[in-house]
Amino acid sequence: MFKVFAFLKRNSELLSHDEYRAGHIGFHCCNSRRLTGIRGYIVNVWANEGLASKIGPGYKDIIINEPTGFNDLWDGFPQVYFDDAASWKKATTIEPTRATENGLSIDPDWTLSDSGFLFDPVDASLKEFKSNHLKMDEEIIIPVNRPERKVTKIIQFFKKHDFIDELDFRNIMLSSYAKKLSNMEGLKGLTLNFRDHDIDSAIKGFYPDTGWHFSKQGNYERSQFASLWDGAFEMYFDNIDAFKAGRMTSSLNETLTALDRKLFSSAWYVEVDENVIIMPNRDPAPDFYYR
Amino acid sequence: MFKAFGFVKRNLSLTHDEYRAAHAGYHNSFGRRLNNIRGYILNVRSNHELSSAYNGSSVLEKITIAEPNNFDDAWDGYGQLNFDSYDDYISARSPSLDRAGKHGLEYDPMVAKVGNDLEYLYSGSPFQFCVDEAVQVPVIRPEKKLFKLAQFVKAPANLSPILFRSYIAGKYCSALSVMPGLRGLVLNMRTPLDVMSGFFKPESEAFTDEGIVRRELFYSTWDGIIEYWFDDASDFFSGRADQSLNPYLAKLESELFTASFFREVDETVAVVPNRNPPVDFYFR
Repeated sequence: MFKVFAFLKRNSELLSHDEYRAGHIGFHCCNSRRLTGIRGYIVNVWANEGLASKIGPGYKDIIINEPTGFNDLWDGFPQVYFDDAASWKKATTIEPTRATENGLSIDPDWTLSDSGFLFDPVDASLKEFKSNHLKMDEEIIIPVNRPERKVTKIIQFFKKHDFIDELDFRNIMLSSYAKKLSNMEGLKGLTLNFRDHDIDSAIKGFYPDTGWHFSKQGNYERSQFASLWDGAFEMYFDNIDAFKAGRMTSSLNETLTALDRKLFSSAWYVEVDENVIIMPNRDPAPDFYYR
Repeated sequence: MFKAFGFVKRNLSLTHDEYRAAHAGYHNSFGRRLNNIRGYILNVRSNHELSSAYNGSSVLEKITIAEPNNFDDAWDGYGQLNFDSYDDYISARSPSLDRAGKHGLEYDPMVAKVGNDLEYLYSGSPFQFCVDEAVQVPVIRPEKKLFKLAQFVKAPANLSPILFRSYIAGKYCSALSVMPGLRGLVLNMRTPLDVMSGFFKPESEAFTDEGIVRRELFYSTWDGIIEYWFDDASDFFSGRADQSLNPYLAKLESELFTASFFREVDETVAVVPNRNPPVDFYFR
């Protein structure tokens, strides 16, 4: 599937982090969940209490060079799934989804015009907002199975050592690292995502060529953000204690920590609150409207 | 948790598939923003003819008891709403503070009206009722569309509702719960609690004589719904053909049900039910 992470910083002049949550998960998703052809839609918002605080002193032992102020660069990141790049680029061509006196109609009130108030605006006109939309190359290590309760989701961001060849790195991550990680007890789902090196691959044809994203400044800011990490694991647990037990106090700890130092110039964790807007459907799409 | 089902008949200006798009599209987009909602699922009657669509589905004829005539004329889908309490449910239809605007977070009055599309989406009012739920196998959803069944069951007139529920939950569903491939099994008994007043406008069709008759006629055909989730249709049909299980199920069905019939539904998870205590921030 075509998968995109979109890191978004709130409009901090107007909204607190918790207000941003409501605006994004509430009104914004009310519209964006009706993007044409969307096959899955999750919004991850960083948790109000950081992992360093929740885990305690042991946290520093499992991270490497966490970028200072990383969470200041974003408040949430949606992950969206489409069948292919073409579907993604056509997603805002809206289809009829509203019952009216004329039968099924295109919703005349459909809008994403809240974006300038919700996200970090480019300038005072609020016509454009900044974002880091990044195409992800996904490998499912343990399929995610969601219970009817809030799960604990932890993102492990990683950046490879410069001296490791890109292809070798992928092979090691897939054949060795992910396999070891998948042995963590209590793990309910594990997905490995490699960031596409082309930071434009998710936005070419999606945003206008003349917009901020393709400007010199936009390109600079997006490059800076992307340079902080090469990929991310999505990990699902019942709770933080399960993560601690699986990652930090198990016999795997020594092996994983050694591998981290061998492979990564930086690696760190962020807990996110996962809002499932559309349950991803990895099977072929049915021949009727389905979310 | 407080749980309500609402059965709806589409507006006749819409085909069944157009109704799907409007319900799963526009309407659910507002419904999922209801204040304090803890779970929201839409089940649309499948386009498949269950008795012939799948390998092994001919078994359906053998396990169906007294299916009412023209049952599907009364509904196209049913929604499920979860709240922490009845009070939360009744107060859910109020403007929601969840829209970013020039003054920060602002109220959206359209949530109080759930998109204000009811008259164009439905024929008449929903048949909305509170259910007494028994989770027999907790639902676990993978990242794909599951095969979901609703089994409508009706109790014998001489069996008390309490015993009926107890026997279904304790014997029948326990036996079902070992079926291979089962990803969830939930028993829902319809209760007489009035959850329409205060939720729908007093002038709604639900409160007219005709509306009451229409609803009571529908309710007269069943008392409870057993929901099944499977990876695949074949899991259900092979399970129901398994001779180590089915003689016992058939015996219970003949004793417990005056009617028992099945429908496949396509499930939209608009808000994953969260059965844990609520968090102190906006979460869906």
